[in-house]
Amino acid sequence: MICDQCGERSASVIVKQQQQGQIVEVNLCHICAAENHSINIAFEQDPLAIHQLLSNWFPNSQASINPVRKEVATCPSCGFTFSKFLRIGKFGCSSCYDAFSPQLNEIFKRFHNGNTEHNGKIPASYGTTLKIKKEIEELRKQMQISIQGENFEEAARLRDEVKVLSAKLEGGIQDGS
Amino acid sequence: MAVERFFQPHASSWMTNDGKNVDIAMSTRIRLARNLNNFKFPYAFTEDEALKVDKEISSVLLDKGNELDYTFSHISIEELAELQKEILVEKHLISPYLINSHHSGSVLLSDNEELSIMVNEEDHLRIQSLQSGFQLQQAYKIANELDSLLEKNLSYAFHEKHGYLTSCPTNVGTGMRASVMLHLPALTMSHQIQRIIPAISRLGMVVRGIYGEGSEALGNVYQISNQLTLGKSEYEILQDLENMTEQIIQQERRAREAIALNSPVVIEDRIYRSLGVLTHSRLLTTEEAATCLSDVRLGIDLKMIQDVDMSILNELMIFMQPAFLQQYADKPLQPKERDFARAKLFRERLNRNGINSEGEDLA
Ligand SMILES: [Zn+2]
Ligand SMILES: [Zn+2]
Repeated sequence: MICDQCGERSASVIVKQQQQGQIVEVNLCHICAAENHSINIAFEQDPLAIHQLLSNWFPNSQASINPVRKEVATCPSCGFTFSKFLRIGKFGCSSCYDAFSPQLNEIFKRFHNGNTEHNGKIPASYGTTLKIKKEIEELRKQMQISIQGENFEEAARLRDEVKVLSAKLEGGIQDGS
Repeated sequence: MAVERFFQPHASSWMTNDGKNVDIAMSTRIRLARNLNNFKFPYAFTEDEALKVDKEISSVLLDKGNELDYTFSHISIEELAELQKEILVEKHLISPYLINSHHSGSVLLSDNEELSIMVNEEDHLRIQSLQSGFQLQQAYKIANELDSLLEKNLSYAFHEKHGYLTSCPTNVGTGMRASVMLHLPALTMSHQIQRIIPAISRLGMVVRGIYGEGSEALGNVYQISNQLTLGKSEYEILQDLENMTEQIIQQERRAREAIALNSPVVIEDRIYRSLGVLTHSRLLTTEEAATCLSDVRLGIDLKMIQDVDMSILNELMIFMQPAFLQQYADKPLQPKERDFARAKLFRERLNRNGINSEGEDLA
């Protein structure tokens, strides 16, 4: 998270401020926080006024993120547009993650100190699927090596193994080739 | 009504003052944000979906909660009186966001109040595990077991690359927010806290406090929590937070020793004045109560005060809040009346429990 005030250092303090009768949350680095005299740090509330950050980072909505594609990305499942996501700072459903995918890495990086990928717990049910996918990836690599070495018999065997695993993944028999 | 118990001013188990380093680390909290796969998230779903989500989740917990040796009570937020809602917020069992929601929501509470599961808050599920003292691993273990149990019976919104999908981009990934509540009077008094905060941010953590008039956190209580939920595993996040917290605890101990050594009479005077205020005043504002509670805690830790039970101080931090005071006084209170009720509460609780009240009149 980057400091809202200087935009340079990473923010370490969440400050709640009274601005024209409204309570506003601001993320400050330790230096800007120290300069802030009417400091009022938020406590129980969940971290940040996300939408404020997003609108600070992307002042002209999607235009500044993706200058080529001007049309508005819309989530087919919940109907949220990318600009609505920026405005309220929240996703409407899990499909939003796919619909807004081109812009998300940039956003996740800013919130998570440059990180974009999950490295933690995997639900047991997904665990199996993920494992199979990784196995398939591995087999495909081996297959490439076999083909390059003109070991076509081995390559065919690996292809069959991939087929079996893919079928398992789809929960049915798959048409190979 | 069995749920009545949750609104009584009795201590939840996380207020009991057990656990490691409890003199400085007052409590530990783990929160996991989860969503179900086949429903829109709370910012987009309909009331009908909200009801279905609530039903799916609560039926799993009410059915299978005993697999984890917990008994859960299901409480619909709409069915609660205003005061009851506020009491649950003041007890940290639900968030203010949940009671202001436009949709049907509920909370499932374990009998010992260590586990609370909010349904249809910002996410379909917010699993919260509270422990007294500094117990990150234990708090996570409990939350994680509950999470695994739920996952067996529900289909979570999960993405290979992004992890657990949440309404807010700040929670995606592990969905985990781990936090430790720290009482840091000596680091605050010696202004060392300003030097510590930047170090914390470099490791992807944040510090929060409630700041009063000056630049000192109200009651010298700070909350340290992880900010990152992507890129690191739960284990790594907890490890970082644990290491950082341990270092802060050591520094606080050193600062306390230095203070006790360098200005014993000044500190002793301040601590006993604060004890006097808590046990004898007739009007007590939140700020003054928080400041004095901090001093008395420090006095207990420095062994200057022997006859005050720390767990009562923990309870008072919760029960001195407006909704509890109103319940205690049994009528709506204006702010000034609150200060009066607060003072009365402190006198009663502290004098009844061992302090020589020297003719204190409890009426
Ligand atoms: Zn700054
Ligand atoms: Zn969507």
